[in-house]
Amino acid sequence: MRLFLAITLLVLLTCSPLVAAEIEPLFQRLEAAATNVRTVTSAFTQEKRLAIFDEVLTSSGRFAFAKPDQLRWELLEPVKAGFVLSGDRGRRWHGRAGTSESFDIRTDPMMRIVAEQLLAWARADFGWLRERYQLEVLGENPATLKLMPRTGGGFLDHLRIIFAADDTHVQQVEMHEQDGDATILRFSDATINQPLPDATFRN
Amino acid sequence: MLMDGLFASLYRRLARRRTLLLIVTLLLWLVSLAAFTRLELEENIAAMLPESGTARSDLRLLERAPFARKIIIDLTAEDAVSTDALIQAADRLAAELPRETFSRVVTGPDGEAGGNLVSAMLGVLPNLFSTADAERLSRELTSPTVRERVNDSYAALLAPEGWALKQILRYDPLNLRQLALEKLRYLRLVPNAQLSDNHFVSSDRRHLLLLAQTPLAVTDSAGAVALEDDFFTAARLVLPDGIKATFLSGHRYTLANATAVKADLWVVLGCSLSAIAAIFAIFLRRRQALWVFLTPVLVLTTAACAVALVYQPVSAITLGFGAVLLGISVDFAIHVYYALRHAVGDPAVALGKVARPLLFGGLTTIGGFAVLLLSDLPGQRQLAVFSVAGIVTALLLSLLVLPHLLPSGAAQIVSAVPRRSERNRGGWLLVTGWLVLLLLCGWQARDIRFNGDLRALSLTPPELRQLETQLAQTWGGLHGQALVFSSGVGAEEALAANDRLFERLQTVLPAVRLVSLAPLLPALTSQAENRQRWNDFWTGEHGQQIVATLQAEAARLGFSAQAFAPFSARLHAAIEPITVDFYRQLGFGEAFDALFFAEKDMLRTLTLLPDSPPVLAALTTIESDSATRLVSPTRFRSEISAAIEDDFLRFISLAAVLIVTLLLLLFRDLRKVVLALVPVVSGLLGMFGVMATLGVEFNLFNIIATILVIGLGVDYGIFMVCREDEKSDLGTGQAVFVSGLTTLAGFGALILGQHPALYSIGVSVLIGISAAIPAALLVVPVLSRRWLK
Repeated sequence: MRLFLAITLLVLLTCSPLVAAEIEPLFQRLEAAATNVRTVTSAFTQEKRLAIFDEVLTSSGRFAFAKPDQLRWELLEPVKAGFVLSGDRGRRWHGRAGTSESFDIRTDPMMRIVAEQLLAWARADFGWLRERYQLEVLGENPATLKLMPRTGGGFLDHLRIIFAADDTHVQQVEMHEQDGDATILRFSDATINQPLPDATFRN
Repeated sequence: MLMDGLFASLYRRLARRRTLLLIVTLLLWLVSLAAFTRLELEENIAAMLPESGTARSDLRLLERAPFARKIIIDLTAEDAVSTDALIQAADRLAAELPRETFSRVVTGPDGEAGGNLVSAMLGVLPNLFSTADAERLSRELTSPTVRERVNDSYAALLAPEGWALKQILRYDPLNLRQLALEKLRYLRLVPNAQLSDNHFVSSDRRHLLLLAQTPLAVTDSAGAVALEDDFFTAARLVLPDGIKATFLSGHRYTLANATAVKADLWVVLGCSLSAIAAIFAIFLRRRQALWVFLTPVLVLTTAACAVALVYQPVSAITLGFGAVLLGISVDFAIHVYYALRHAVGDPAVALGKVARPLLFGGLTTIGGFAVLLLSDLPGQRQLAVFSVAGIVTALLLSLLVLPHLLPSGAAQIVSAVPRRSERNRGGWLLVTGWLVLLLLCGWQARDIRFNGDLRALSLTPPELRQLETQLAQTWGGLHGQALVFSSGVGAEEALAANDRLFERLQTVLPAVRLVSLAPLLPALTSQAENRQRWNDFWTGEHGQQIVATLQAEAARLGFSAQAFAPFSARLHAAIEPITVDFYRQLGFGEAFDALFFAEKDMLRTLTLLPDSPPVLAALTTIESDSATRLVSPTRFRSEISAAIEDDFLRFISLAAVLIVTLLLLLFRDLRKVVLALVPVVSGLLGMFGVMATLGVEFNLFNIIATILVIGLGVDYGIFMVCREDEKSDLGTGQAVFVSGLTTLAGFGALILGQHPALYSIGVSVLIGISAAIPAALLVVPVLSRRWLK
């Protein structure tokens, strides 16, 4: 019995989140890796496990980021839609309807939330993230974080973020909602610091 | 002759009790002075608005416009400054402004409604579901549209924003929220403002709007100084480089006017006193003559107390105008002075001789001013009492007291206009020239324009005018909109009237942008009807078909059977009616308080529309509803203009009839009457003609000046006719000339003022008296020589 308890304790200790003193070096490592990243492009697939759908919704598209604040998020399948952002202003489009509209994240609270999240992950902005989330390290190699909102009342329960092995970009983001729904984004074929034409962030 | 004897006798009797007379006079003046300092004054422009018609109540209602009593603060950022920095600066400024002068500063809507707004508005939609909404849904929600909207919901769920939209889409897959949110556009009090971080920001994001309240009265010029000081000190302290702030409120106009008047007074008083000193040095030269100039001071307090006996409170505007009119009282004193200086032998005889024209002049002037008692403007009626009391006092002082303070005897007096020169051979040439000028002026006078805009009476400095323009361009029409009030004894009645109004406006002015509560807060009965309409729509054939299409399309896209269960449940859920509190919780309290308020025993709602001629023309139809009242700044101004014009024409006509009647009674000779009228007719036609030629509009101040010109002009005529009639000269020509010069020095100098009020009075008096004096001194003698031979 004592042996069982000792093994259990050992397993729990090795699997438990890192203590605070061990978190900082990991963040510094991720931030240091992000410092050298000027641009990122990648493909992504998105799985939505929502109660309102009988099946898992799978979609795919492309993502681009350029420092400090340019983004392109583009769904290609099964619908064409997306947005580009440069600074505070951006444009989103709806391929099915064939329409597009400009937006400003200072006056569009929904797009502001979306842009802030994507930029924070892309930049590994732990200052911003720590203001809003309680961060927990689930693993170091690859770096895996759990983010729990500091303020309640929202739809989000927690986020789970897995970085690439070289720490330069996010490889997977899981959003777990309080009602049990979840969205999983998997980034693949990432290229780092490839020059991106300005047109990438215009539409 | 009787009059001559009476005043000669009085003079002799009082001369024996000179000391007692002066003590009693001084005591009476001290009593009136004490009463004067305790007068309750009312600084309200309403005293100068006609009582009949709607002008007075219109003015009161215009002050209920949302921004009429607010301080509007505008922050401007240079291009390099970010919007966030502008917002932070605005918050710092709002916090820094002292609460003694800025009791409340609003930086944005009361609360952050955010995402709650959409679901909250969606939740109350059945209460707001109008006939137009039902027709719109019937038209728009066809099977293809429903399919499209379900597809849109599906696409939105895949997009990043789908994280936040999921719950909303479950309740509203058909985008009915658009219907509810569009109703909020009727609440946009600041047309061009956008919300950014719960602050009002302009579309170019270079301006930010704050709204403030102050406990300081808008007429408090000392308070206005504190307000400006506090504001610009706080702005200097907290605003970073690249951000400027300024504000607009009634106080700034008050301060600008008070400052301008003070600055003008130094210039005007300096010129005026220099000119009067020169007149004194050239024509009067005696120390005792200073008593002449004290007469108006003594008269002022007595006249003001007389007004207070009849009217309470006394209009401060009346006192201001009255003080101007009492300039006339100095003329009586000048005539007495000259008569006594020209006295040969007994001064009582000279006083007796001057008493007749003096009383004639006084009576006709009193008659002219008494006509103002019939005015529709309460301020004008007060002015009538003031002037009549003032002239009576001036006559009594000039005939009973002043003679005992002035020297008598034939001293060497500089004659400005020797009689010989008045009777030169070129007399008829002069008369012909005068007639031609008069005809020209009469012809031009047809073009005189009346301006009833109360703002034209006050000074608007260029920087405030520029700020008004900038605010209007940046934020849209904050001021100057047409207001429509719907009233009722309770909220339900007022809101029902508002609903009727909105319905009619939608019919007669469908494309006009308006601000109204009706789409957002209908009367309870209307809300019940709306809920019934909502229920009928969704239980009806078309509604059922929409729901069936939705379910089919949702299934096609893989939505679960329960995906839109919240939507179906809400279609038939029983909901409570909405009240103002609902919107307060969403952060719209400020806007609702501006548009829905209690006044006396009534509740009123306010609808705002553009104040343009086509809108006003269309709005005439709504005034048939007794619970609805339109107040338009444009219409208000034109009504005031018309009222002032009517009042003025009535005054001129009645005064003319009364003065002519009095002159007929006094002179009993038509020729003398015509002669006595020569100066006043010359003064008036000259004034109207020149003003019309110069394009100077006629306002309330010009009317007061006109009264002065009439009073003085008639007096000049009477004195000159009496002189020609009696064949004796008590220095009448010099007296008329000197009194004319003092009037020009005292009031004509006002033309140097920058303030419209001072300038208006100055220009009228300068032109009018400049025409009346030569007519009295040169034309009347020539005509008299011929007619009174």
